[in-house]
Amino acid sequence: MLQVKNVRKAFGDNQVLRGVDIEVKKGDIVVILGPSGSGKTTFLRCLNFLERADGGFMEFDDIHTELKSASKTVVSKVRKKTAFVFQNYNLFQNKTALQNVMEGLTVARKVPKAEALARAKAALDKVGLSERYDYYPSQLSGGQQQRVGIARAIAVNPDVLLFDEPTSALDPELIGEVLAVMKKLAKEGATMIVVTHEMSFAQEVANKVIFMDGGVIVEQGSAKQIFTTPKEERTIQFLRRVLKDYDYVI
Amino acid sequence: MHLNTQFMWETFLDVLYGIPVTLKIVAVTLLVSAPLGFLMAVSKSGEGRVGRRIIVAYVSLIRGTPVVLQILFLYSLLPTALNYLIKEVLGLTYNIFNLDPIFYAYIVFILNTTAVLSEVFRSALATVNSGQREAALAIGMSKIQAYVRIIIPQALVAALPNICNTTVSLLKSTSLAFMMTVKDITAIAKIDASFGYNYLEAYLVIFIVYIFLCSAVQGVFHLTERNAAAYKRPAAS
Ligand SMILES: Nc1ncnc2c1ncn2[C@@H]1O[C@H](COP(=O)(O)OP(=O)(O)OP(=O)(O)O)[C@@H](O)[C@H]1O
Ligand SMILES: [Mg+2]
Repeated sequence: MLQVKNVRKAFGDNQVLRGVDIEVKKGDIVVILGPSGSGKTTFLRCLNFLERADGGFMEFDDIHTELKSASKTVVSKVRKKTAFVFQNYNLFQNKTALQNVMEGLTVARKVPKAEALARAKAALDKVGLSERYDYYPSQLSGGQQQRVGIARAIAVNPDVLLFDEPTSALDPELIGEVLAVMKKLAKEGATMIVVTHEMSFAQEVANKVIFMDGGVIVEQGSAKQIFTTPKEERTIQFLRRVLKDYDYVI
Repeated sequence: MHLNTQFMWETFLDVLYGIPVTLKIVAVTLLVSAPLGFLMAVSKSGEGRVGRRIIVAYVSLIRGTPVVLQILFLYSLLPTALNYLIKEVLGLTYNIFNLDPIFYAYIVFILNTTAVLSEVFRSALATVNSGQREAALAIGMSKIQAYVRIIIPQALVAALPNICNTTVSLLKSTSLAFMMTVKDITAIAKIDASFGYNYLEAYLVIFIVYIFLCSAVQGVFHLTERNAAAYKRPAAS
């Protein structure tokens, strides 16, 4: 369904992505792991053109495009087939939860108001916020805000959901509620690419785990493969470092 | 010291006729300056290099010189320049010296307020974090939709306190319009005072009138702010 090849991106002299490939099939849950600064966010942002890659090719259903020279129309098409969940939620502060979710439907996709309203409510119900339709972001907890962020993303029925560390801005006691929603979506067959430091999520939900470091994919495989029999030294080091905090033993 | 209260009351009644003139200058200036200042703020945070330089130069020229000087300068320059333009360049017979001087007041205050408001809007736009713009784009909205629906409404709310300040200081600066022979509040008070040399009484009267007007402006803005910024309030529950 979605395939990108050889994604490259530099900020000035800083070569952040040095040729990253990824293939995503319908229903895949791809988790991207990697140390800070390895280019995970940048990669995700290149996929929906929030960041313009310097090179690389994308095949996304009927879309075939160079990343660097993709036209406005192609960018808009890709953005309408994807949805992005941000680390800092990035909710529209001047809109209620319901309006946040409806915006992508009524404004960006010209869905009729009544239908958009029904779909927005259904999305908020799904993330457990039926009681918070008319709350502004400033009136919601971090976990609730991120769930609105997820509702906003799923309401538009994207082919692929992109998550950039959706829980890392949250207090520890709020992480669970967001992960629970993501697990539910995964079970229902959503296609997701998730950058996260939540190893438990990767272990339980991912059917493909990618380990990135220094702007390249160092190793990829099934969750089991990566967590129990990693081959590359850098992967082993990374897992040892992060899993120590979680009291796991490799 | 003895105040002539009879004179003060009469002056007050006379000055009431100046209020619409003062308010008209404020209103026309804001109606023209707000959109212009906004466009300048947007284009300044946007791409064009040359445009940005011109705007920066204009803003620092206006903000770096006293309003009184701008009035003196433009009021000396404009009538002669316009006269030349109309008579010599366009070949018309209109006598520019018959023009209502309020138009010169409009020009001076518009030039001034536009510069101030462009700065006000620029900093207000910067208060809306770029994450929201990205979220709007990511969900499929166009740049313009993101601006119109998400960023501008929040920037306007953020700008309200400064727009209020700008309006109040504009209202106060209009008292300089008498220098261009505009019959505003201050001009009427000065004229009344000049007959019997009752300047002190006349100025006391318009002190009060200006205080009242400025408070009214602030009141209106406070109400607007309260309503517009509903989304900033934490839930009551
Ligand atoms: N807009 C930008 N301008 C300049 N440099 C940037 C920009 N965005 C990212 N970088 C740089 O690119 C590198 C990779 O950043 P990126 O955010 O993709 O890493 P990451 O893997 O997501 O890290 P983290 O786990 O900390 O989120 C970093 O060195 C960062 O400083
Ligand atoms: Mg990141």
